[in-house]
Amino acid sequence: MMNLFPASERHVADLGWLRSYPAYSFGGYQDANRTGFSVMRVCNDDYIAPGRGFGAHPHSDMEIVSIVLNGRIRHEDNLGNRVVSSFGEVQRMSAGSGVIHTEFNDSDDEELRLLQLWFMPKQRGAAPSYEAKSFDTGKLHNALLPVVSDKPSAHTASIAQSMTIYLSKLDRDQPIRYEAAEGRNLFVYVIEGKLATLGHSLTAMDTAEIERERELTLTAEEDAFFMLVDLP
Amino acid sequence: MKQTLLVKHAVSGRMLIDSGKQDVSFSSKPEGNGWQIDIGVPWSGTIEEILKHKDELNVFIFYDYDDQPTLKTWYYVGKGLVAYDRDSQLLTIGAQSRIEYYPHEYSV
Repeated sequence: MMNLFPASERHVADLGWLRSYPAYSFGGYQDANRTGFSVMRVCNDDYIAPGRGFGAHPHSDMEIVSIVLNGRIRHEDNLGNRVVSSFGEVQRMSAGSGVIHTEFNDSDDEELRLLQLWFMPKQRGAAPSYEAKSFDTGKLHNALLPVVSDKPSAHTASIAQSMTIYLSKLDRDQPIRYEAAEGRNLFVYVIEGKLATLGHSLTAMDTAEIERERELTLTAEEDAFFMLVDLP
Repeated sequence: MKQTLLVKHAVSGRMLIDSGKQDVSFSSKPEGNGWQIDIGVPWSGTIEEILKHKDELNVFIFYDYDDQPTLKTWYYVGKGLVAYDRDSQLLTIGAQSRIEYYPHEYSV
């Protein structure tokens, strides 16, 4: 079963310095029917003006993933981390029992685009932690590349939840198959281009929530850049 | 020095109590290994929401000074008790820990 949420129905929050497209209720956008999917609570596609960002604020008991799509993000937190990430890098912050952080566009002239994703952790009250990992962007080509997972590797950031985030860039007409374990949920987000799956076409910024499908074939109807999340 | 209490829903960011805009009394004190925040506030649908979302609360006390930067204290509720006593119109929030921070110490 697939629940398609088209970009045309998506809320836009425009604060001048921030243009945010939340897939689920967030900030001033509240929809009781859209509060998350599986353990995913937030999926924001954010465009942040040069030099601007989110000032110091806390989080707790949430796994927060930032995937930079364009530009540079500067992360700073009370754990002592100060890291600049760009496309080809992801950052994962386990808020646990509490972390204070800032996220800013590190550039003076380039807009930052990032996916901001929040997931409920497997366990609450864990020690907070932060990790940034880089991956080979060439490996996105016609493949599903895991960039965040509870089965981490040298180029895959860890996360305290039973899940994996894949990124992929498919050439036009190229299909790719994904096999999910029994009982898993899948989330697809089209970053760029056009994708077909389960008899539906998805264009940029469309989301698809997929339940009870063991096998998924995704085919690029145009060159496509997308995210697939395998969730409990 | 001025103190402001804020209680927000952690995921949505929605403000539930703002002592700067509502007539509420509040105090905080160490309790066991954590902290206890007592808030004098009449019963309302907002209190019901606080109790419903007790696992997803952000509780702050801001300390604004005339001659020094604002100090923000954030309380981690975690497994702390969140309860309301209708007779005394008192909302009690137990916090496992807290973090004090000066926003200006982070680069922008």
